[in-house]
Amino acid sequence: MKVFEIDGSLLSLALFTEVMNSNELLDAMQSGTLEPEVAFLNASLIPDVFPVLVAAHKTLLAKSRETLTTRTLHSELVYNYSGSKHISESLKRCGISKDSTYVLVARFDASLDEMKSIEKLINGKEVDLEELEGRANQAQIQKHYKISGLELGISSLANAITCRIAARDAL
Amino acid sequence: MGINQDGKEGSLILLKQGAEARVFESTFVGRRSIIKERFSKKYRHPTLDTKLTLKRLNAEARCMTKARRLGVSTPVLYALDPVLHSLTFEYVEGPAIKEIFLGFGFNGVNQELMNDIATQIGDAIGKIHDGGLIHGDLTTSNMLFQNGTNKLVLIDFGLSFTSTLPEDKAVDLYVLERALLSMHSSCGNVMDQILAAYRKSSKQWSSTLNKLAQVRQRGRKRTMVG
Repeated sequence: MKVFEIDGSLLSLALFTEVMNSNELLDAMQSGTLEPEVAFLNASLIPDVFPVLVAAHKTLLAKSRETLTTRTLHSELVYNYSGSKHISESLKRCGISKDSTYVLVARFDASLDEMKSIEKLINGKEVDLEELEGRANQAQIQKHYKISGLELGISSLANAITCRIAARDAL
Repeated sequence: MGINQDGKEGSLILLKQGAEARVFESTFVGRRSIIKERFSKKYRHPTLDTKLTLKRLNAEARCMTKARRLGVSTPVLYALDPVLHSLTFEYVEGPAIKEIFLGFGFNGVNQELMNDIATQIGDAIGKIHDGGLIHGDLTTSNMLFQNGTNKLVLIDFGLSFTSTLPEDKAVDLYVLERALLSMHSSCGNVMDQILAAYRKSSKQWSSTLNKLAQVRQRGRKRTMVG
């Protein structure tokens, strides 16, 4: 697990592979009984932490202005990471699904105890965030964010995603 | 568990002040960044002012990211704030082409470097024009030469718009030609090199360059007499 500071708030990130209980996690999250509240991100779409931090920054700004688009702070993070304005589609693609096995877990301002209980919730193997790049699914990322080969000639995958997250509201 | 970002956010250093915006240097989640903040014009009606500022802010973000999609380097956009009217983007390390060309004026021209830069400029403009994007303010101070990669990076899309008209593309090139003539006449004929690269890069070069010949005769503004 790693903690990042964003504008005075903290974001804790933990990466899990071989997750066996995503079905339960999805149910708990959708019924709102997940304790503590966290964000589950489809890690195949994440080649680097930076775009996640950009989405988190955007989320915190919206929270401070009381202009969240989705119901909770953590679902807003998933929605923002998608770079799209379609909420349900975003949560489906960038969030967790029934058969996900590779998941990035995020929580704002988590205490040590909270992070421990999160680790207990997830039935999987925690791996280092450094593994994001090697495990990302480039074809899926290019399709979801509509990134052409032409753009990848001048930009990394992570930077291309970052631009889409930041520019979404301008489109 | 540990905090690995220094989080020294909020330390703003004013770099430039223009007619439309102020440019600051800052840090964005641990990375060196540039903030461009458009300020309100007190002489405009407040409603109109907000509308215009927001429209231009969004247009700039759109055009910058569109250029990247067309294969032309621009700074990575980090954030857009519609309330503060600001854009945050990547800090690109490297001198402006203007400084390099002025250096040529003092110390003599490095022909190899000059060819490389001219080719990159022509190629980049050809790409954005073919994608229907007009930069609107092509001057050598709006082009950076990135350290390390030696790649041309276009900046300041504040006057950019989308158009496929040869007229708009020709005026875009004409503005650059005038800027080169007035600032960098000692560098020899850079514009010819740029246009040669443009011809190779743009599929629609012919109609644009024909139009450019007309624009040269009359200047940037179309005469609307009669």
